[in-house]
Amino acid sequence: MRYLMMQKAGGAEPDARLYADMAAFVEELTASGVLLATGGLDPAGFKMTSVGDEITVTDGPFTEAKEAIAGFALIEVRSREEAIELGRRFRTIVGDGESMIHQVYGP
Amino acid sequence: MTDLSATVGVVWKQESARIVAGLLRLVHDVGLAEELAQDAVVAALQQWPVTGIPDNPGAWLTTTAKRRAVDHIRRSRTRERLAPDLARAPEPTGDDVLRLMFTSCHPVLPTEARVALTLRVVAGLSPAEIARAFLVSEQVIGQRIAAAKRTLAEAGVAYQPSAQLSSVLEVVYLIFNEGYAATSGSDLIRADLCLEALRLGRMLAVLAPDQAEVHGLVALMEIQQSRSAARTGPAGEPIPLHEQNRGRWDQLLIRRGFAAMLRAREAGGPIGPYVLQAAIAVCHVAEDTDWVRISALYQTLERLLPTPVVRLNRAVAVAFAHGPQAGLDLLDELRADPQMADYHLLPGVRGDLLVRLGHPTQARHELQRAASLARNTAERDFLLRRAAALDVPEEPGRLLGPAVAEFLAPRSPATARAYGQTLHRIARLAGERTPLADLTPTRLTEIVALSWPDVSPRTWNRHVAAIRSFTAWSGDPSLAATLRPRPLPTADPGGPASGPGRGAAAMSDRPAAGGASGAPALRERVLWCLLRESAAKVGAVLALNVEDLDLDDRSARDKTIVWRSGTARLLPELIAGRTRGPLFLSERRPGPGRPPAAADLCPETGRRRLSYERAAYLCKRMTGHTLDRLRAV
Repeated sequence: MRYLMMQKAGGAEPDARLYADMAAFVEELTASGVLLATGGLDPAGFKMTSVGDEITVTDGPFTEAKEAIAGFALIEVRSREEAIELGRRFRTIVGDGESMIHQVYGP
Repeated sequence: MTDLSATVGVVWKQESARIVAGLLRLVHDVGLAEELAQDAVVAALQQWPVTGIPDNPGAWLTTTAKRRAVDHIRRSRTRERLAPDLARAPEPTGDDVLRLMFTSCHPVLPTEARVALTLRVVAGLSPAEIARAFLVSEQVIGQRIAAAKRTLAEAGVAYQPSAQLSSVLEVVYLIFNEGYAATSGSDLIRADLCLEALRLGRMLAVLAPDQAEVHGLVALMEIQQSRSAARTGPAGEPIPLHEQNRGRWDQLLIRRGFAAMLRAREAGGPIGPYVLQAAIAVCHVAEDTDWVRISALYQTLERLLPTPVVRLNRAVAVAFAHGPQAGLDLLDELRADPQMADYHLLPGVRGDLLVRLGHPTQARHELQRAASLARNTAERDFLLRRAAALDVPEEPGRLLGPAVAEFLAPRSPATARAYGQTLHRIARLAGERTPLADLTPTRLTEIVALSWPDVSPRTWNRHVAAIRSFTAWSGDPSLAATLRPRPLPTADPGGPASGPGRGAAAMSDRPAAGGASGAPALRERVLWCLLRESAAKVGAVLALNVEDLDLDDRSARDKTIVWRSGTARLLPELIAGRTRGPLFLSERRPGPGRPPAAADLCPETGRRRLSYERAAYLCKRMTGHTLDRLRAV
């Protein structure tokens, strides 16, 4: 089953050690076939609202910096517990903060 | 907060391959390596509640398991000086995992064992999970894995990276297909097998990046998996590739498949079957399918893998590229292949091509035949619906299936059963709804040859008799004119096979048992003669071994059994050069289910000792007397 893990911004400033640890973690997940896609997000973004036929586009940012989603990873695992374990390992690498994890419905 | 034991289980699944692989380098025994790794899991369950889960649980398990291995080696060998080196043994590497995969896929193991062991030690699945995926009991899987470990240990192959990569690829693709062949619906568990195979393939691609075939296999699986949501309809019915809703294909997996294909091309080397199959899968992704290119790829694939299924797929591609008639011509060559006799896709494809050629009547017949051979209900219903959708009038005249039923109805139960075995099979292979008028002697002969390629003349004649009786009843005896009975072998087990035809090979290693007609076979004649002349007990005579006999002295077993001229004349012929083992042998070799004791098995022919029950039955049938009565006569 697939899970989308979204990381909120904030936490410690990244240093060289964090980059190395993250690279090793990503490499390990890729090698074991778990990581399908990953990416960072522009914290600002823009918003689209529809009312009737009218579409409004508003430029961001909208939330406090530490509430914004800063990055995502799409993983394919065998169970919810596996997703939790990988999330735990990710959090121990990046330090204090918050992740949102949603199961992706589908195949 | 999550359950700790669930976390440990998850860590095990994610890390077991690396841990077991690292231990294998130390202890050279897959079974022992896995046991030591499991010990580390037990230690984790005891310590983590106290110390908390370590930052890198996999590394913790690896270190703990390695310490156990070193302790084990210290205990089992007393060579202390080796221990310091072992303690410094490096962390498990990718090479170790690769070696573990080669070991679990080693050709000394039967295929089923390779699959089970790979899922156990490389994918970290429990026997219960493997059992559920393969729809067998957990006990069966446990035994299969234990036997595999034993075989590897005995063969001493655990630490040689000796197996071929092709064997590993085969196991991975087998796991994938096992999951893929099961259609959706209640089979969701089996769909997990596809993901497991994908995971193994992706892992392999990192471990052996310079092997084009590995990337080819990954590309093939990613692209096939990308269609999993689109390949069945709402009711579980299969949807042919070119009718699938492309919007439901998983673009992420398609892109990953393409990327793997590019890596295969970069790796270079000669093109193998997986790269070719992946190339075909890639062609199908394109908006306008290039059937000419696909049929060319299939032609190359057929040279590497001349299996009937590949030939069938090639025929489909050729039909799309060069017209239905060209495809039909290729299919007709396949009809004589015994492996295809029961395969529903052959008549299914024929039916499709016949529709396109404008022969709806024949097409409907083929589709109905395909439906009768289909293995799951969704496919059967789908084929029947397609057949019903063809707008043709119901065929006049008698149909094969109903005719067989009508023919069997008035017979006695025993006859109906005996004839039915033959006729139902023919009706199934030819199609229940074949009009009798459409059945030709050539097609009938072809079906009979496909159904019973290697039977003894006696069995062959039984089938022929049933068919002749049916064709005579149906009013067209000329249908079976080309089916001739085969001569029975003479009652001479030592002599050369005398019957012509394809049954001869099967017959020559089977002594004639003496049927209800004709004289009793040599074995029975010797047994009865010996019983009469020696007056010994039946059990004692049946227990005789060839090495017990003193032919010159006409006696056996320290003179407890003595015979006269009648037996002496026949005995050498029965022994026929054998030097040991039971004197009286049964007609057949024992099946795998009930292996006889070593003393009851002839080391030269592999047959078992004639049982008292069988001997008594033969005697009763032939003479009407019991064996004991024979002894007294």
